[in-house]
Amino acid sequence: MFITDIRKDFYEVVANQRVALLVASDIDALCACKILQVLFHCDQVQYTLVPVTGWQDLSTAFLEHKEQFRYFVLINCGANVDLLEMLQPDDDSVFFICDTHRPVDVVNVYNDSQIKLLIKQDDDLGVPSYDDIFRDEDEGEGSDSGNESEEGSEPSGKRRRFDEGAVERRIERRRAKRDWEARRREILFDYEQYEYHGTSASIMFFELAWVLTKDTKDMLWWAVIGLTDQWVHDKITHMKYVTDIATMQRHVSRHNHRNEDEENSLSIDCMRISFEYDLRLTLYQHWSLYESICNSCYTSCNFKLWTLNGQKKLQEFLADMGLPLKQVRQKFHSMDMSIKENLRDVIEESSNKYGMKDIRIQTFGVHFGFKNRFLASDMVHATTALLESTEKDESASDNFIKALDSLSRSNLDRLHSGIDLAKKKLMAIQQTVASCICTNLIVSQGPFLYCYLMEGTPDVKLFSKPMALTLLCKYLLKAFVQSTRNKRCKLLPLVMAAPKDVEKGSVIVVGIPPESETSDKKNFFGRAFEKAAESTSSRTLHDNFDTSIITLKTEDRSKFLDALITLLS
Amino acid sequence: WEACVHSNEAKAEGRAELIPSIKLRHCCLLRNQRCLTAYLYDRLLRMRALRWEYGSVLPANVRFHMCAEEVQWFSQYKKSLASFMRSLGGGEGLDLTQDMKPPKSLYIEVRCLKDHGEFEIDDGTVILLKKNSQHFLPRWKCEQLIRQGVLEHVVS
Repeated sequence: MFITDIRKDFYEVVANQRVALLVASDIDALCACKILQVLFHCDQVQYTLVPVTGWQDLSTAFLEHKEQFRYFVLINCGANVDLLEMLQPDDDSVFFICDTHRPVDVVNVYNDSQIKLLIKQDDDLGVPSYDDIFRDEDEGEGSDSGNESEEGSEPSGKRRRFDEGAVERRIERRRAKRDWEARRREILFDYEQYEYHGTSASIMFFELAWVLTKDTKDMLWWAVIGLTDQWVHDKITHMKYVTDIATMQRHVSRHNHRNEDEENSLSIDCMRISFEYDLRLTLYQHWSLYESICNSCYTSCNFKLWTLNGQKKLQEFLADMGLPLKQVRQKFHSMDMSIKENLRDVIEESSNKYGMKDIRIQTFGVHFGFKNRFLASDMVHATTALLESTEKDESASDNFIKALDSLSRSNLDRLHSGIDLAKKKLMAIQQTVASCICTNLIVSQGPFLYCYLMEGTPDVKLFSKPMALTLLCKYLLKAFVQSTRNKRCKLLPLVMAAPKDVEKGSVIVVGIPPESETSDKKNFFGRAFEKAAESTSSRTLHDNFDTSIITLKTEDRSKFLDALITLLS
Repeated sequence: WEACVHSNEAKAEGRAELIPSIKLRHCCLLRNQRCLTAYLYDRLLRMRALRWEYGSVLPANVRFHMCAEEVQWFSQYKKSLASFMRSLGGGEGLDLTQDMKPPKSLYIEVRCLKDHGEFEIDDGTVILLKKNSQHFLPRWKCEQLIRQGVLEHVVS
């Protein structure tokens, strides 16, 4: 069931209890977790935090902790599957689920006792009504036909002999039941067909903190990072992003409302969050401007930097703005102040000439101390790189802990190492995109585009991780749409496969929806992958919380693909 | 005193040129003796510190390096410390080895560095300490494990 009063029905319930926090491995979940941890520290709620990477991890963690805990809080996992059936908990376990994955499983919505959803109900959910899906088994004579919501029931006013009447009514009931079940299947199919994301979990917990008047700037910053993570990884539509930014802007102005003047100025070390209408150049303040332009998806795809022509255009662009190459290639901090001052306006003006209308995006930046300035997207890239780092001897939970630490302001060296890893990852993505486009590795399979990264590809290890591969996928699709001349191919979705574990012989497969201006980011590949795997009995593992990311055995790749093609044609 | 005896003997036997070497040898012996006693005293102080760090039961690898007399000294020290602690607080006793630094909060956040299995806290609940899980627990229960290196205090 949905919780309406998050303070009364969630926080006050767990305030005197011991809670187990099961947190998924994405940045939004990490930020939400940090906010909740600070709230729990304030009120001395004892908790145990366990990172989980997939459904198997979740089940294992639940089994290990179910004896000791009665209350479980699941962050960014658990809403889109029938949780009670999967975990088989005892009757007194209560689950609080704050998850951005949609659609929310109908069992989770209609269970009143054990599942409490920390999800906003005005979030465009479209949950089918109870009567359409569930029905009390009622074979008695006087079954109330008020629950049956289909047409075609015979008028019961006809009078016949008693026996025939009873038989007739039974036949009618059976037919009505079949109709109802067919309609139910249809409704459920429509409801569960597309996977998408809702309001960020960190915003939900920030609003809880706000209601408790325990919100701080740190928590606000984490909420902003969680929202920006959804935007960077293309999980929400642009409209939703802008709406949520406006909500966050209200909170930011509330926190910044201090009479700062000559006498009462805040110390430079205090944390200041400010609204920025900043450039869409990834990590540009921590890199050189040139590198940032070359490695940001937006500019790289618009200039088509993998072609010679594109390189020339870039040089023209820089010349047009009057930026000397020497300046632009050195670290951003060391650029001349005169250039840095009007940089954003200058770049916006020039990019309009080159067809890039949206080079600037609404976002937030943080500033503490003299040197430390970060944009929300910088933090997202750094923390994602740490979370999915492919160093040897580091398990998933080690990486989770490192990424969690990097979100605190006192762990700046970890954040900087994250930024370095993110730079490497972005460069690897750009090079892979360039080589895929130049060697025509993307093939149209009919209903979708397909690309397979061979084992020997440089940096292919980086792409064995789901989020990195999804980012590569999105950049690749954008680049492909820019470079292809085939109008039909521009509207196709993309399926991408990359080797995951060479020893075990598995590949990771990701599917993303087609690229369009007004895309609603709804992904149907989750169901499609399931059906294709079933029909060919391929050995697949649907372990990720995002159902559009699966692991597959290398040998089964071709038959799985064929099944997918037939399914989607 | 020995030096006097030897030098008197030397004088008596008429070998007065040996007196400086006797004196030197004696000084060396005295110095060695001082060094040894300083070393033994330092060991004593370290053993005393071990009681405060590890508690009343020392780990096996530490006990391996102690000789029998040191073990005996250690148990006597333990006894006198225990009787002192029992006598505080009006006969109720007070454990001085807890809370060596003034605690800032009742509960602290700890991170598990290695798998330690189940751990029971005061109200009977059991916590599973698995690698890389984080817990928010009462400070006094965690101190032992932090000293042993199983848990790590997370300061954010």
